Amino acid sequence: MFIQQLANGISVGGIYALMATGYALIYSLLGFSNWAHGEVAMIGAYIAIISVLNAKFPLPIAIIIGIIIAGVFSFINEKIAYKRIRDNKSPTMFLMIAAMGLSTTYQNAATNIFGAKFKIFPGLFAVAFHIGKITIGSLDLISLIVSLVSLVVLDITINHTKVGLGIRSVASNSYTASLMGINVDRYISLVFLVAGMYAGCAGILLGMKYTVYPTMGNVALKAFISSVLGGLGSVRGAIIGALVIGIMETMVTAYLSSGLRDLFTFMLLVIILLVKPSGLMGVHVEEKA
Amino acid sequence: MNEILKIEKLSKYFGGVKAVHNFNLSLQEGKIHGLIGPNGAGKTTIFNLITGIYKPMDGNIIFCNQDITGKKPYSIARLGIGRTFQNIKLFANLTALQNVIIAGNQDITYNLLESFLRTVKFRKEEKSLREKAMMLLETVGLADMADKMASNLPYGHQRKLEIARALALNPRLLLLDEPAAGMNTEESKELVTFIYDIKERFNLTILIIEHHMDVISNLCDECTVLNFGETICRGCPSTVKRDRLVIEAYLGEEYVC
Repeated sequence: MFIQQLANGISVGGIYALMATGYALIYSLLGFSNWAHGEVAMIGAYIAIISVLNAKFPLPIAIIIGIIIAGVFSFINEKIAYKRIRDNKSPTMFLMIAAMGLSTTYQNAATNIFGAKFKIFPGLFAVAFHIGKITIGSLDLISLIVSLVSLVVLDITINHTKVGLGIRSVASNSYTASLMGINVDRYISLVFLVAGMYAGCAGILLGMKYTVYPTMGNVALKAFISSVLGGLGSVRGAIIGALVIGIMETMVTAYLSSGLRDLFTFMLLVIILLVKPSGLMGVHVEEKA
Repeated sequence: MNEILKIEKLSKYFGGVKAVHNFNLSLQEGKIHGLIGPNGAGKTTIFNLITGIYKPMDGNIIFCNQDITGKKPYSIARLGIGRTFQNIKLFANLTALQNVIIAGNQDITYNLLESFLRTVKFRKEEKSLREKAMMLLETVGLADMADKMASNLPYGHQRKLEIARALALNPRLLLLDEPAAGMNTEESKELVTFIYDIKERFNLTILIIEHHMDVISNLCDECTVLNFGETICRGCPSTVKRDRLVIEAYLGEEYVC
């Protein structure tokens, strides 16, 4: 029973992690929480589901289209909204407000275009796999594998490649990075594209597990809490935070009550902010140079 | 001799403050030119204009016969202008070596896919970049600190690391912003020798902002004195030191004898 719940928890946590890493990356570069991130996940899910339902694409193709379009939306958000705010040298708060605006805009646009009804991915076979004592549904297994592979690739890219070093240098000090020949705007665009694709992937996995609806992006709040728990701006912290939240949620649901799930999650957020505001693997608050 | 940097009628105002007004400079290759003046005279603003952090309101900056006025900072850096900072701006949470490697990034030609596949080209370029970065750390005497976090280095070493990082850009022009800040007489003497050595070794032209007059006198072929954004004097350091306007700007009218 416990092992079973653990497996479920990791599977849910993996999906949160796909979004939480996006929060962490964008926070580390621009110092704001991208509230429109959940809506990017929602867009990915809708694009995938209408590609299947309306355009009759095979599911794998639909998923790829959904992921790419989610990435493109994230990229465009940055180009049309955030970049302008950065170029104007406006306060960081403006970025967060713009993101909130985008979030509501996308939710309402989705309601208008697709309707408020819940949509269900068709033709998903729920095959159960038995590994030892654990029974895991095919969907959970797929999300587990997809998210773990994506997260490992992301972690390697950030920590062991030149692109990753570039991203870290921009995160460390974008002003200096630009003077060292780093094209800061290009790295920021790249991060938004990748974060959007990861969010899209998470949205599609959630849509397949549950349903697709205009406000499904609100689940990104859990991913945000994960990244706070792990330490804002830390990619590894976000992954660990997401797994902790995922496991905790399934455990609370299994052993206590599903009604208490969110209570525990938000209590954890408050406790972390009070006790260890830098999070589990938090980047230390930088002293003034 | 070639003219490496030519600045014409450069102006930048912040609101009503004339940070830099009608600044002109012609810098020959291989020379060391000093920028001096009281605090707030506009010295660092000139660096920020050359490196593209600020856009000038008026005037041109020509580097190696190429107009770089209004270009983005990263492309100006890649053309071969390296700089250090008055208040140290290292990538604090990266190692000393990574700090240097970052600035050497433009030497890299492999793409992301090749780095995942660890192709021969990737390994070769990676190795040569690493060697170059180590060589630069050695030049500034930090070879044994390569894997230390930049933020953990002592102040003097951080200043040297900034120079190593700037050199990784393969600069032709190096802008040093108060490299002797916080140093005593002995240390600033060493610094003079060090700066002269790297200039010779890497064929640099140097523009240096400094308050220590001994550093300026020992190092510079020529210097420019600024006050309130205006050029008040130009010439070789010994002449400048005796200039009436300069003494006035630094010490006040009553000291002029």
